[in-house]
Amino acid sequence: MASLNDTIAALDRLPALPATSMRLISMLAGGGRDADLREVERIVSHDEAVTASVLRRANSAALGMRGRVAGLGDAIRRLGTRELCRIALETQTSGLLANAGRSYGLRRGSLSQSALGGAVAADELALFHRQDREIAFVAALLRDIGKLAIDAIAGPDALEKIAAAADTRPFLAYEREAFGADHAELGAMLCERWSLPAEIVRAVRGHHEPPSAPAEPLTDVVHAADCVARWAGLGLGCDGLLYPFDAGTRERLGVTRDDLESLIADVLTATAPEDSAGSLASSIHLRKSA
Amino acid sequence: MSRIPSIPLKHEPRPESPRSTEGDKLVVGVADLQVSRDASRSIITYALGSCIGVTLYDPVAKVGGMLHFMLPESTVSADKAAANPAMFGDLGLPILFDKVLAAGAKRERLIVCAAGGAEVLADDGHFRIGSRNRTLLRKILWKLNILLAADDTGGQHSRTLTLRLADGTISIRSQGKDSTLWPR
Repeated sequence: MASLNDTIAALDRLPALPATSMRLISMLAGGGRDADLREVERIVSHDEAVTASVLRRANSAALGMRGRVAGLGDAIRRLGTRELCRIALETQTSGLLANAGRSYGLRRGSLSQSALGGAVAADELALFHRQDREIAFVAALLRDIGKLAIDAIAGPDALEKIAAAADTRPFLAYEREAFGADHAELGAMLCERWSLPAEIVRAVRGHHEPPSAPAEPLTDVVHAADCVARWAGLGLGCDGLLYPFDAGTRERLGVTRDDLESLIADVLTATAPEDSAGSLASSIHLRKSA
Repeated sequence: MSRIPSIPLKHEPRPESPRSTEGDKLVVGVADLQVSRDASRSIITYALGSCIGVTLYDPVAKVGGMLHFMLPESTVSADKAAANPAMFGDLGLPILFDKVLAAGAKRERLIVCAAGGAEVLADDGHFRIGSRNRTLLRKILWKLNILLAADDTGGQHSRTLTLRLADGTISIRSQGKDSTLWPR
């Protein structure tokens, strides 16, 4: 058990969101209109992981087009400012989340993959529901950032023990009992500390329990995206599926089973490892007979 | 709302994604399958939520396979089904059977087990992806006239499923606890 004060104090010990990520978010929050291509180029070229992601993405986008990209400059021209901002932010967030979720029993990279899967779903849902796609993308990408704080305060096996004894209440209720705050609230506190736009803070706070009076359309989108990622098997730790899909969100978005299944399939395709999905041809291992 | 139009996907694989082998383990990703007759190996799949992991094992030939399917029916997306049939139970299960038999297993000796098919909390009948996955599995096995030897399905928890090819032991890890699903 930790007091709320201990829990909040843990936020101070967490790594900060890189300054360049905050800059990228503010550029995206303006719909990419205020983005300065030269500044984005500087961010991309000064971060090796981001440079590599940009080159990979540009090359995959170039498939079937005019051959491989010639270099970073060519990649930047092909992808455009908004896409560059997204790739850079995705890569930096992925670095921040790579080892997160240990207390939930998550394997390395699981939470990064789930962050991206949720962001892909939020982007599609925002497009359909006429919400700001960039804000939805960023909010979904950061929605589980509060799990970093839980990792910092939860003792070894604490969450697994809680989950083993859990009945049918949402997992957030157990987190609040044990730590004085749940990962959604802690994530919102972190986003506030980083001075991120208020709608991102609200969506992170409500991504498991979206408010209904008044409803927040962007939070509804991020909540649905989170459920889609979970159904796609992403980011499942000892908390499993102990989070309901809010009936109010379902009604407000008018989401059907077919919509959801189609989104789940999209999310899986977008986050599938290269050597897994669609690799049936290479899936038979017959060492003994070789 | 009417069907969300699919937008072109531009995201690419994450560098942190699990590889298809980890030491002596063959790792089955989501919407993936592995078949082997290498008795020194295990086949494993992590974090089954509403998805279902199905194992087939022939104890004489020591051939086994595992499928991790995500959704019941491929009709939801023809292009995804064409690109990756293992995503869907209705396409993935016949492929798993074909590949295990092609690797030397005999149909009459197969031991079939399953895990997963969990449901999100308080799903009031609207989506029920986990239970529809379970129903689909039973429907296909019934058509094939094959019984499930053992299963651990439903609930709200995620499960990790392992098949040891040396002797066909099926184990499950869930909420920090290990258990043996087969032999019982």
